[in-house]
This record gives sequence, structure tokens and C-alpha cells, in this order.
Amino acid sequence: MDKRKKSLSGQTAGMRGWIQAAATLLTNIHIPNFFKGKIYQGNAKTVCVPGLNCYSCPAATGACPIGAFQAVIGSSRFKFSYYVTGFFILLGVTLGRFICGFLCPFGWFQDLLHKIPGKKFSTARLKPLRYLKYMILIVFVILLPLLVTNSIGMGDPFFCKYICPQGVLEGAIPLSLGNAAIRSALGKLFTWKCFILITVVVLSILFYRPFCKWICPLGAIYSLFNKVSLLNIKVEDSKCIGCGQCSRVCKMDVDVCRHPDHPECIRCGACIKACPKDAIHYRFMGK
Amino acid sequence: MKTNKKFLTILTLCIALLLTACGATDAAGTDKTNESLTETGTVSTDSSNTALNDLYQQENQIFADHEAVWNKLFGMMSKSNADPSGNYADYLADTAEANKDSFTEDEWKTLTDDMETIRKIEEQIAGLEQGTTAADNTAPGNNSEADSPFRNFSGQDFDGNSVDESLFSANAVTVVNFWFTGCKPCVAELSMLDELNNTLKAMGGEVIGINTETFDGNEIAMKEAAAVLESQGAQYRNLSIDSASDAGKYASDIMAFPTTILVDRNGNIVGEPILGGIDNQDNYDSLMQQIQSVIDADSANQ
Repeated sequence: MDKRKKSLSGQTAGMRGWIQAAATLLTNIHIPNFFKGKIYQGNAKTVCVPGLNCYSCPAATGACPIGAFQAVIGSSRFKFSYYVTGFFILLGVTLGRFICGFLCPFGWFQDLLHKIPGKKFSTARLKPLRYLKYMILIVFVILLPLLVTNSIGMGDPFFCKYICPQGVLEGAIPLSLGNAAIRSALGKLFTWKCFILITVVVLSILFYRPFCKWICPLGAIYSLFNKVSLLNIKVEDSKCIGCGQCSRVCKMDVDVCRHPDHPECIRCGACIKACPKDAIHYRFMGK
Repeated sequence: MKTNKKFLTILTLCIALLLTACGATDAAGTDKTNESLTETGTVSTDSSNTALNDLYQQENQIFADHEAVWNKLFGMMSKSNADPSGNYADYLADTAEANKDSFTEDEWKTLTDDMETIRKIEEQIAGLEQGTTAADNTAPGNNSEADSPFRNFSGQDFDGNSVDESLFSANAVTVVNFWFTGCKPCVAELSMLDELNNTLKAMGGEVIGINTETFDGNEIAMKEAAAVLESQGAQYRNLSIDSASDAGKYASDIMAFPTTILVDRNGNIVGEPILGGIDNQDNYDSLMQQIQSVIDADSANQ
């Protein structure tokens, strides 16, 4: 298309689809388990993966950080999940929402759905819905599992149980297909979660990444670190001509020139590719 | 152009991945094999049934071929002596022997020749019938007959008392509940299981809990489990088993907790496992139904 030699940032952004595919595969490495209707239960399951990826996916390599966080908060033995919180801080400070753009399997799933041709709608007018994910994080991931408990202090993982569409897509559907006993146990909750999944799928075709923008508590956590994370995006003032191409191509509705470290930026690199002057690039620890 | 190409390759890769990942194909595959398995089962039963019918037809044909002499013999039979469970050929021969004087020499020869043929047919029938009953016995069960993980069982309760498979032989039915301490729905049904244990005592049954955290005699986990059981007022026996034992491996393969299964007097798993707590009315009803049928089958065998 052009003969300019692409910068490292441009190459990274161009490889995004492949990186997402590789990350999804690494996050779900035990593919044969799909045929067995079983989940991997080895030692790696005590470690969290960076993206939103259900623990109950037959192929899952590790645990979902949001699921693990709720499981610990909801357990009667512990009040707070220091290990998972530390994991959030570590990944948030190093990569921030780069994880959403490059490593999260459910993010990739929505990217793919959005490639289905058809009429696409802008989410620019729906910006207030962005705050919904923080509500979900506080209410469903933290407060309800902590406060709504039985007599011996055990809570439910409310987000996993009642909201998360990734759990149905990766956990309930493949497990019930491969395991007759689980299939026979499906009930109203499964119907409800399938309804959520179908809604998210339809919305993902019409809008870009609706789940990431409005629902995802993991994205909400990483977004808090976007301003301080070691990996970020830099707009070179000396090169920028203020054409506004970057903001026009941004599917997360970020004004790139003014807020390159906006909480909503998933570091997808669309602006890097679009900039006519190569003024935008990724930066890790200031370089 | 370049981006388009990339997009296309990525899309194809994704579709391929999605197709494999969906697992739909494989599950449909397993379904099919299951279906075909049961189907072959019925087919073989069907074919043995038609074979049986054929043999009965052959016998009837013999009776029809020499109608006169056979009717004469049937006329001499007394209904009160009829013993359908014994050997039919013997039964015919006995009647004939008792009334030998009533037949002419020719008639006697026809009778004895025919009876020889019937005896052979009867042998085939007996063979086939055994095959069908054996098939009937194994068909509904999970082929647990040979390799039930509870045949050779050992464990210890939380007070340190050892138990073995005699645990199962003492009762017509044993309800085995698999759970773990951190599982909220498992804890929610503990009080119901205790009630069930009290009900079952009168019916010749027992509820046993197996907590997967307490495997291999883990003292700390056993203490925690005991505390949770006490908090829910559950007093039935809970056992710690060896994770490397057959029962331990069976428990490790369970994908959803709580899971409840029924074990009969011989240590065989009966029926399908029940997933989810019995505090759900549907689960409770289906469990009670299965318990009743195991008890009925047990008293029929005694």
C-alpha cells in the first residue's frame, strides 16, 4: 500500500490479529479436552491468565482473574484476594488495557464478530454506558459476593453466575455438549446466560466491542491503570499536524491527540496505522 | 490490499478455530456413537427376538405336520401339571411316556422323532433367552458390573475408623454425595442429605459424604469439613478416601459439584449421577424415585 518503512509500533498493530489468535490458543491450550467433556485441573490452574477466559472452558490453561477474585472473596476462609489483586496491579501497571486489545480471547471474539459485513453503528453517543462496567465491578464482583452469604460466610460468584457471557460460550456450551450429565443439569440459569450471550453477539456485530466498553469488569480494572501503565501511546507533538485522523478511526471513541492514555483506549493501534505523519507510537517505560 | 489479505487469512483461521473450538462437531460425534451403541444394542436384541420367534414357529410347524398324533397327546395333558419353567421337551416326553399304551407303533415313532427335534430347538431357545436376559441386565446400567470403583473400597471416617466395601453390602442402597468444603451449593444441601439419611435408615439405606478436599487423610481439610457439617447439622458419615484408589479417581473425574450417585449392595453404581443439590425439588424427586427402584430391585433379589 505504501512504501514507507513501518515502525515497530506499526508492525505490532498490524500483527494484532495474529497476536490475539496466539494468545487465545495459549490461554486455551488443552484442546483435546473439548472432546472429553472435561476440564484441565492441573497445577497451572492456580495461575491467572491475563484476559477474560473462563476457568471452566475444557481447554483453559489457567484461571480467569475475575472468577478467581470472586471465588476468593466469596469463600468463607478469606476476606480479600491479595494474590489476584496483586496480579491485577502487576498487569495493570505493565500493560494496562493493551491486554484487552491484544491478549483477551473474548475481545478477539468480539473483533471477529464485528468483521461480519453489515451496517455498523457508532457508539459515540452511548458514552455514559461506559460507566456501567464500573458499577458491575463494584456490585457484582466485589460487594455481592462479599455481602450476600450463607450462614457460614460463603457467597456466590455473582458476575460469573449471572452475567458473564464468556462462561456460557467457553464453559457451559462445550461442557454440556461433551458431557451428558452436565447437559441434563442445564436449567433456567443456562437459558438466561444464553440470552445474554446472544445479545452480546448481536451487539458485537452492530457495534465495536460492546462488552468491553460497557460490561467487562476486567476491562474496568485495567482501565484504571491506563494512565500509569509502562506500556502506553505517545503522540509526538512535533510531528502531529492536528488532522484528527486518529480520533476518526478510533473505535473506542477516544480523542487520541488530547487523551492518548484515556481509560477506554485498548491500545489496538488503529490510530498508529492511520496517522499520516507517523506521529503516534507505542512506548514502553518511556521509550 | 495487504490489510485485506491479512484480514481474510485471519478470518479463515478464526472460522477454522471456531469450528474446532465450538466442540459442536465432537459432541455430536459422541452423541452419535452413543446412539449407535444403544441402537446396536436394540438391534441385537431385536434379532435375537426374531430368532426366538422363528424357533417357536418351527415347533408349531412340527405340531401342525403331525396334527392328529400331537392333538391326541395334547388331549392327555393335565393343565394342573403344566410347568412352563421346566424343559418343554421333557414335559412332552413325560406325558407321552405315561400314556405310551394309547399310541400305535407308527404314532409312537412320529412322536419320539418329533420330540428329538423339539428338544434341539428348545436348547437353542434356552441359549437365546439367556443371551437376552443378560443383555437386558446390562443395557440400562452403565457397564459398572465389572469395573465399579466401589467394589474394592476403603476409607476412613472423620473419627479415624476404617471402612471397606462392607459399608455398601450392609444396605440395599447407599447414597454417595461428592462435595468439597468451598462449594456453596454443596453446603446448601447438607441438611437435606442429613434428613435423607434419617429417612433412609428405616428403608435400608444410608447417606455417605465424600469430600474431595479430605482425600488421603488430610487432617486440616477434615477438620474444616467437619466444622461445616456441624454448622449445617449434618451427622451422617463422611469419608476420607485415597485419591489414587478407584473411587478417588472416579471422584476426581467429576466435573460438577455436588454430584450424587447411588450404589447398590454389591458395590455397583446404579442409574445416572444426579448433578446439583437435592434442595432442588426436581433433583430430590428423581433421587427418591431412583432410591425406591434400587430398594425394590434389592428386595426382589432376596
